[in-house]
Amino acid sequence: MSGIEISHGCAKGERPLIPQVCRVVEITQETPDVKSFRLQTLDGKKPFDCMPGQLGMFGLLAYGECMFVVSAQSDEWVQFTVKKVGLVTEQLHALCVGDEVSLRGPYGNWWPTEGCKGKDMLFIAGGIGLPPVRSFLLYCLEHREDFGRIDLVYSGSKYDDLVFKEQLFEIWPNEPDMHVHVSLYREDPQWSGDIGYTAPYLETLDLGPEDGNRVAVICGGPSLSRTCRESLVKAGFDEGNIITTLEMRMKCGVGKCGRCNMGGHFICLDGPIFTLEEIGRMHSDV
Amino acid sequence: MILNKKNLTPLLESMAAGRDVFVPARVDGVAKFALFGEGVECAFDLVNTTMPPKDLLFPQTQKMYHFDVDANGNYRIREYDESREQVVFGIRPCDMRSIVCLDEVFLTKGFVDEFYANAREKLLTVCIGCASAAETCFCESMGVDPQAAPNADIMLQDCGEVYRVLAQTPKGEAEVANWAAFVEEGDAEPVACELSLAVDMDGVVDKLEGLYDHPIWENLSIKCLNCGTCTYVCPTCHCFDISQDMRRKDGVRFRCWDSCMFSEYTMMAGGHNPRPEKLERVRNRFMHKLNFFERRYGMSLCVGCGRCVEKCPVALDITRLIDDIGACDVVPVAQAE
Repeated sequence: MSGIEISHGCAKGERPLIPQVCRVVEITQETPDVKSFRLQTLDGKKPFDCMPGQLGMFGLLAYGECMFVVSAQSDEWVQFTVKKVGLVTEQLHALCVGDEVSLRGPYGNWWPTEGCKGKDMLFIAGGIGLPPVRSFLLYCLEHREDFGRIDLVYSGSKYDDLVFKEQLFEIWPNEPDMHVHVSLYREDPQWSGDIGYTAPYLETLDLGPEDGNRVAVICGGPSLSRTCRESLVKAGFDEGNIITTLEMRMKCGVGKCGRCNMGGHFICLDGPIFTLEEIGRMHSDV
Repeated sequence: MILNKKNLTPLLESMAAGRDVFVPARVDGVAKFALFGEGVECAFDLVNTTMPPKDLLFPQTQKMYHFDVDANGNYRIREYDESREQVVFGIRPCDMRSIVCLDEVFLTKGFVDEFYANAREKLLTVCIGCASAAETCFCESMGVDPQAAPNADIMLQDCGEVYRVLAQTPKGEAEVANWAAFVEEGDAEPVACELSLAVDMDGVVDKLEGLYDHPIWENLSIKCLNCGTCTYVCPTCHCFDISQDMRRKDGVRFRCWDSCMFSEYTMMAGGHNPRPEKLERVRNRFMHKLNFFERRYGMSLCVGCGRCVEKCPVALDITRLIDDIGACDVVPVAQAE
């Protein structure tokens, strides 16, 4: 196998289906329909230890639970970034600081932080695809000396939909050898920057595979993923050097309830992180 | 050791003292495993029950935990364990094989499903071998011996008038030690079970690697109604949904059987559905049975019980699909994914 090596099916845990009650300690309104929630246990501790890219089942006992990538973490909390799209996420958006929620996890595999050491990193995300990617990006920034040049290519349909604006426009551009490229899909009165869909925009940036020394990390909707993959392959990237985190409806989180399979693999347990080379070998409906 | 069939009822009566014993029976016209007791007539003449016994380990609806509100208005989780000592008496070898599959799903790969594990630990399995087969039985083709079930605690091989008793696990030995009043020393020859239906599985798993985009699935899915009957009567289908119910301030989170035949099964909140049409769903179900599970756990997820063949309202038949796959001119690919 060529390319980056990713661990699969490596998560383990006791009593995986019973949640713990946690408390919301901070809420950030990221966009009109995206909020980030920092969670702690009721006695003020970090709910669980996890690797960047792992998943948590975050919800409300009375309404249900949904799977999210942990979008950021510290020694004291884990954070989830939630877009309001359905019944449960609508209730999550009604939460206030101090409210109690349910949480179980961590589940799934994690970003290949070791395997990417020494590489240039190219992060590509659209809309609400940035939070999962950010967990890896933040790791790279915390361990800056382990990675080469960092590029972030991010786009959204309108200015209001861009998440983490402070980091995007004020913090990350000032990080050493980090280059932030943002485009909107169409003109927006609040936006004077680049316009274009992610894949064609990516192609204008001329970020090549650097003889296999650049790793691309993609997270976005189905069409973004497909078109960016095509652009990267056209630019000469090996599919083993393109990593993505997949999404599918999940209920149990531990590869038993059945629905998130991709061939014989379960995204919740063996994934969510795969290289495109691996996905190409699977019988995937995703 | 042999057990005369005349002693079955007294044996069951003795076993049922202080324990729930489930036997094949016809209840309201449906053949299933029912709690042995007054008014339940054992139907050991049934080759196969319509409903498999999987609900003893994996109930159709199962409470996982309660949650209620304390004096401060905060939710508290109250755990709930419904599992209790159970005996399944008269389970068939195909259904015993399905428990091998379910054990793999629920007990391996880094996470143990505690609800299944608790029920499994408390289940005593007494398997009765088959002396005859239904028209839809094809277990032998799937590697099941109709007169053997290595994972059963106790195996009763059908020898005509008597059963040959084999205690196969420590739990089975301990149980049979209490059977002295009903069994006698001796041996008997199991009746050879003749099956009229067979499939050739040779090469099928490997051929499927190259058939994902083949018209075979389109032809198959055209008549499928996506009714889900096959998944409910299947002894190995184990997909579940998790949901909750609130009454005033008392809530319960439960899981219940789900089916990959339903479009909502994979429908995501944002509106994207990776398996939007019948074609994708039908293909996924049969690939799971015949290829995906084999690659993941090293065994087929079809045990040849024939329930789906018998009950499908549009006669969608897995044995014909297996024949069609066998007849396809594709190169088998032996590698795992």
